[in-house]
Amino acid sequence: MNLFMRWTGILVVIFIAAPLVIVVPMSFSSANSLQFPPPGYWLGYYRAYFTNPDWLIPTWNSILIATATTILTMILVVPATFALVRHKFRGKSFADLMMLMPLAVPHIVMAVGYYSYLGDLGLVHSHLGVILAHTCLSVPIAFLVLSANLKGFDRNLERAAQSLGASPTKTFMHITLPILRPGLIISALFAFVQSFDETVVAIFISGRDAATLPRKMFDSIRQEADPVIAVISTLLFFLVLIGIAAPYFVSALRSRAPKPSRPAGAH
Amino acid sequence: MSYLQLSDITKTYGHFTALDNVSLSVDKGEFVTFLGPSGSGKTTTLMIIAGFEKASAGTVEVGGQSISQLAPHERNIGIVFQNYALFPHKTAVENVYFPLQMRGVSRTQGLRQAEDMLSLVGLKGFGHRHPKELSGGQQQRVALARALVFEPSLLLLDEPLGALDKNLREQMQIEIKRIQRSLGVTTIFVTHDQSEAMSMSDRIVVFEKGRIEQAAAPLDIYHRPQTSFVAAFIGESNLIPATISSAAGKTAENPALGAFDYAGADNALSDGQKVTLLIRPEHIKLSRNPIEGRRNVRMTVETIVNYGDNALVIGRAGEVTMRVRVLGADVVIIKEGEECCISWMPESVFVITK
Amino acid sequence: MGMSLSRLTEKTNIWPWLLLAPLGIYMLIFFVVPLADVAIMSFTEPRVSLANYERVLTGALYQRVFVNTFLTAAFVTLCCLAVGYPLAYLMAHSKPRTAMLILLLVTMSFWTSFLVRTYSWMVLLGNNGPLIAFLQMIGIDQPPQLLFTRFSSTLAMVHILAPYMIMNVYSVMKKIDPVLIRSAESLGARGWSLFRHVYLPLTAPGIANGSVLVFVICLGFYVTPVLLGSPREQMIAGLIGHQIDEFLAFGMGSAMAMVLLVVTLIILTIYHRRFGLDKLWG
Repeated sequence: MNLFMRWTGILVVIFIAAPLVIVVPMSFSSANSLQFPPPGYWLGYYRAYFTNPDWLIPTWNSILIATATTILTMILVVPATFALVRHKFRGKSFADLMMLMPLAVPHIVMAVGYYSYLGDLGLVHSHLGVILAHTCLSVPIAFLVLSANLKGFDRNLERAAQSLGASPTKTFMHITLPILRPGLIISALFAFVQSFDETVVAIFISGRDAATLPRKMFDSIRQEADPVIAVISTLLFFLVLIGIAAPYFVSALRSRAPKPSRPAGAH
Repeated sequence: MSYLQLSDITKTYGHFTALDNVSLSVDKGEFVTFLGPSGSGKTTTLMIIAGFEKASAGTVEVGGQSISQLAPHERNIGIVFQNYALFPHKTAVENVYFPLQMRGVSRTQGLRQAEDMLSLVGLKGFGHRHPKELSGGQQQRVALARALVFEPSLLLLDEPLGALDKNLREQMQIEIKRIQRSLGVTTIFVTHDQSEAMSMSDRIVVFEKGRIEQAAAPLDIYHRPQTSFVAAFIGESNLIPATISSAAGKTAENPALGAFDYAGADNALSDGQKVTLLIRPEHIKLSRNPIEGRRNVRMTVETIVNYGDNALVIGRAGEVTMRVRVLGADVVIIKEGEECCISWMPESVFVITK
Repeated sequence: MGMSLSRLTEKTNIWPWLLLAPLGIYMLIFFVVPLADVAIMSFTEPRVSLANYERVLTGALYQRVFVNTFLTAAFVTLCCLAVGYPLAYLMAHSKPRTAMLILLLVTMSFWTSFLVRTYSWMVLLGNNGPLIAFLQMIGIDQPPQLLFTRFSSTLAMVHILAPYMIMNVYSVMKKIDPVLIRSAESLGARGWSLFRHVYLPLTAPGIANGSVLVFVICLGFYVTPVLLGSPREQMIAGLIGHQIDEFLAFGMGSAMAMVLLVVTLIILTIYHRRFGLDKLWG
């Protein structure tokens, strides 16, 4: 039993890893179609990506839209999370559930809705339209991360600050915000990635003018499978790798650095 | 001259009454302990003094001025929480500097003052450490320094020793007492640990079900409890229901054990009054044969619990379970199941009317 | 200040409402209304009638797509379990270093865009790809078409959704007290019976969680089936997109979207009743 599980597990590791890493050699391929292993290697497609406005504009659109979505999401979610985690009121559990609804609705359903609704508002094919739609989809994710952090926040810290003479505003600025900072950053990062990766709604509403990178990739894969996609995939692969590995490295470096003291004892 | 004055404080949550007409006055420089089981209202009272809870009725005054309407940060009260609530993103000295920073003290001067305060609590040279790099006892000292550095009008300690192990706890009891005396700060200390309350306080306030059962000096609380609850909660006790047979002759009667002579009672008694008699286990002597000059009762030993230096002997006398504390060396004279004699002096019998 | 005053302030605490209002209004305008728009269109486009639903629920093409979607989602869920369970087991029972590396890999996969992973499978399964080359190498002269088939889209979906299953099962396995397993062994449970009667029931919550998540995402999956699947064997999301994109048939598209939404919500509601929805994505 045990041995069977182990070997199956190792096979699964290969199954999961292979598609992730295969894009790296593909991106250096000299072939102009999907040929693996590549007949030769060059950097041509990297140059193509970094010089072709057909790819650069969607990249820029995606960054712009994801940034704006993140800001808007955080502006809306931070106060709401405080209300939902810190206050008891009638209808709270309903509100909690509502926060998660955008996760429960398939994106294709939302895409149909936005296509028609934003069309009525004259917002399809505009950056603003995509930002407004993406914000709805990012809200539950940002909320889940932030509320988990806020639930773990020791309210005695705020009480202590107030007893020490800090007004509610100063308490928030000096204590609450700095301590919640990692949670806020992760929450914002999740919102950003959600928007940056979102494909389905973007396909239907971003149009040509506000086309996001996923939309452009989707179109390209569907039509001609441009090898530049391998370049973008590789770049995204390394971005994710850095994003995930960075915390490990930082903590590894910290733990290797000479400790100023013995860590906390009995408590 | 009362310094802290609580008047008729009541706190209700919906239909639940957490505090019921609590009144108390505390003198300047006094060390008062709030003692009681959890849910008795001691912490709620502390939170009302600090301003984190609003009383449903009643007022809090400090130095003759009502602070009931002030926000917590306007009250100038230092608090040490059970979990210390040290700011994890600040070093020890920055934690202590924080209240000074909030009062507009410059960084250089404030940090120097904070360092001095850390020295006072015995943490010289630990200022640059973050809370998670400090042991539990050290964190406790930082929290204490932080709550004292701005010369608060009151120091509130909410079960601050609960998280420490036994040895450290005893050490910190002495330390807190020393610092409190040297600064002369009026202190309220909340605990459910009676020995902590006994050893540290000028006065103990016993809470139960949202009311103050008794407020008195530790030894008075121990020897002259005003209610059965206080007698049972503090120390070990034999509580014997009885009827006053002669108030003038200072005798009471228990149907199973017969007549009791008593020496003390704090309230006026009348014949036929139902009372409870308190005899502390250490005031009872255990012997093979009756001892002359003492009230003797025969008891069958049921259980002997050895603690090394002393032992607790539990037995039945008539229908009443009696607990006797004997020195460890004396316990060898008796075995479980045997019959023996227990005896006490009238001075050891205290009459409780409530 | 008396008792009544403090009661009053407690009751009329407007703070939570003030904090919640911006998001509430926003979600009303940009989430609830567009969703309601879909519902309305399904009854009113092109004219007010139940015709759209009649066609969607009785038409042979649509029925086939619904059944196909459902079966595919079920199959993908099963495959994810078959793939994810052993890996989660491997993670939970190997040295911390190995476990962390595998976790890193799974997390990588999770965070890599659907599109990137879909593209990778195009490369792997393509006519000039390594799998075809391998098949030719072992002597199959005319290898079957792999890409743009039900096989390729299912395989890619399993790969894309497996991390959801792995994470859920692993988080449950990690919490199993080894003492429990040892005590079961001491009571005579071995091999299959140990797994069947002890390990499997203990990991059941993770399996349930992962399965619901995978199944629900798969039901509404658009990108991968459209890019990798056979055009003749569409899934419902693809068909909805087709209606909107190609025919501008908003009524039909909306009606199908509503059916998809209702089915999804029914599954999630059942899950919510039993476990609570907040745990699903927690």
